Amino acid sequence: MTSTPIASATGPAAPDTPPRRTSRTSSYGRSERRLAAILLAPSMLLIALVAAYPIGYAVWLSLNEYSVRVPGLSRFAGTRNYEAAFSGGFWEALFNTLVFTVASVSLELVLGLAMALAMHSAFRGRGVLRATVLVPWATITAVTAITWRSIFEPGVGFAPQLLAKVGIGEDIVWLGERGYAMSVLILADVWKTAPFMALLLLAGLQVIPEDVYEAARVDGATVWQRFVRITLPLLVPAILVALIFRTLDALRIFDLPAVLTQGSNGTNVLSLLAYQELTQNRLIGLGAALSVLTFAVVMIVSFLYIRFVGGNIKSLAKD
Amino acid sequence: MSALKQGTAILATVLLSALVAVGCGGSDDDKGSGGGKTGDTSKVKTSDDAPKGDITMCMGKDTGGVHKPALAKFNDENPGANATLVELPESADEQRTQLVQRLKAKSKECDVLALDVVWTAEFAAQGWLADASDIVADREDEFIASTLDTVRYDGKEWAVPFNSNAGFLYYRTDQVDEVPATWQDAYAQGKAGDGLVYQGSRYEGLTVHFLELLYARGGDVLNEDGTKSTADSDETREVLQFMVDGIKDGSVPRSVLTMKEEEARRAFENGSATFMRNWPYAYTLGQEAPAIKGKFDVTAFPKFEGGESASVLGGYNLAVSEYSDNPSGAAAAINFLTGEEQQITYMKAATPSVLTSVYSDASVEKALPFAANLLSAIEQGRSRPVSPVYPQISEAISTNVYEALSGDASVDEAVTKMQSDIEKALATF
Repeated sequence: MTSTPIASATGPAAPDTPPRRTSRTSSYGRSERRLAAILLAPSMLLIALVAAYPIGYAVWLSLNEYSVRVPGLSRFAGTRNYEAAFSGGFWEALFNTLVFTVASVSLELVLGLAMALAMHSAFRGRGVLRATVLVPWATITAVTAITWRSIFEPGVGFAPQLLAKVGIGEDIVWLGERGYAMSVLILADVWKTAPFMALLLLAGLQVIPEDVYEAARVDGATVWQRFVRITLPLLVPAILVALIFRTLDALRIFDLPAVLTQGSNGTNVLSLLAYQELTQNRLIGLGAALSVLTFAVVMIVSFLYIRFVGGNIKSLAKD
Repeated sequence: MSALKQGTAILATVLLSALVAVGCGGSDDDKGSGGGKTGDTSKVKTSDDAPKGDITMCMGKDTGGVHKPALAKFNDENPGANATLVELPESADEQRTQLVQRLKAKSKECDVLALDVVWTAEFAAQGWLADASDIVADREDEFIASTLDTVRYDGKEWAVPFNSNAGFLYYRTDQVDEVPATWQDAYAQGKAGDGLVYQGSRYEGLTVHFLELLYARGGDVLNEDGTKSTADSDETREVLQFMVDGIKDGSVPRSVLTMKEEEARRAFENGSATFMRNWPYAYTLGQEAPAIKGKFDVTAFPKFEGGESASVLGGYNLAVSEYSDNPSGAAAAINFLTGEEQQITYMKAATPSVLTSVYSDASVEKALPFAANLLSAIEQGRSRPVSPVYPQISEAISTNVYEALSGDASVDEAVTKMQSDIEKALATF
């Protein structure tokens, strides 16, 4: 593995594209743009079909109410579904989702980076290590959740007994109490996805040219200095990509809490809430409103990422 | 800066999948059923002619391996008919989702639908079930009366009882000297021993157990015609306080908050509980558990102090789909499966029967020593609130009971909220 599409972006050879705006007035530019528009049209149409239409439809559903009593009966609801969402479980679910996202993604970043560094160093059996590290990630999430539930099951699972032996949490029903339930949820997610984070970061590590390190060594830089001054800055683009992936995933988390706690004890997250209203209670309008709100949250967070973290990369690259 | 651009491109891809997921979530549950309104549904007649044609039964996974042989027998006896089984997932929620999807699409695939007793009203209200009054009318006396309550909605019968279920109080014979006469007594003995376990997770199972106690105390969550909530009552407060105190004083271990039936069974089979509230299925399994084998027995639920004893019915009903092409064949298959001979076979496979006569059959009494207990439990059983918005009502109950049990809300707050949540559910469009 010499380079990956993600990592190649950091390569020094990326040529700067010439400024486009200058050609705007020329007739050549105009016809070229028309051609571009024609060529892009099929993909735009496809995107409209598979993305824009469902989103638009979800928004439309969220503005209506569908009767659970009389089949086929519906009426325009205006913002009623959104009011119901805001006065219902939305804020709590949003809070839980954000807590889960911040905690799990930052832990995964730290652990993933450590794992990536370990996998990057040359030693015998490195290939085996790389393969085994990925096992938790390859495990189906529902299976992961069932496993962790058994691990923390009172009287049966080994975790409570083990923890009680070292004096932590005697008499605590881990999945039955606020805070503790969330920590088990985060733990299960970190266990499962830190390897994925590690893999993305490893790709970033592998394209950092060895001669930079060599030059630093010649100049007498310590291991720590090399890590802070070379590895981290050059890894930032990979970290950004990994963070975006994981954050958006975490914001949409569903399967883990669905199986682990069914959303009880402060683990009800946005997707789970939307699912409950949509399929269990058959409140299509409310469920759609919650989906649209979840979508908005994901959009806002991604926008912030691009806006702030993206800007940092730019300034780093200028240094 | 191309790293940023690439990041944006990847972001766009990830977002796209997010968008599509949201959109599909919405469109899955398209309103577009437009099915027949209640009252327009066809009526199933039982016919004396031999059943003919294809009959497809849609029911949960045949884990016990009892349904396929039953249908094979039906086909042997009726050469003109070809009954087949479509196995739905094992979990009730998944079965419901699958059935709803088919029925919304007016699928003709299923002729006979196996419905959890709590779905019957909802499915009937949606116009998905054919009127089964005539099938039931011919055989009304055969069924245990309480099971027929689960098939009634809007003054008609929409399904035929298929199997039933009622909870038992399991107790350790080596720890309990006197079978408790009241729940209070059971809690007190549990406190002295290793406690009483039940399914206390926040889900349907908790609703069931709470209603068992509430019905026993003489309370209810809906008024007679199901239009108003009666949850905010002294009875509700008393029962909920009793449950909360039980967890506080150690009569009930706090771990019940994470238990469903299976977790409760494992705790009891480990020998770590003196009492357990569970369904009959745990009896046979318990006989194979080394720690408690031969050291436990079952009894019908005790009374609640100041009230009676009551249980809540589980089980399945069989209905004819409104979209079936072969309703008379479907009716014949239902009559076969709910007939005495077949019900005895099911009963011996530990699926409680809906027919009174089955419980006094000699071979059943031999195979299931608790048969008489079970019959009285089912006879005293009550159905859960019959309402097209039952899922929301159940959620209102389990969520608020759970809040009180886990200490997140006081009993007073929980009861007030339960009342307003149920009112809100009843006001659903």
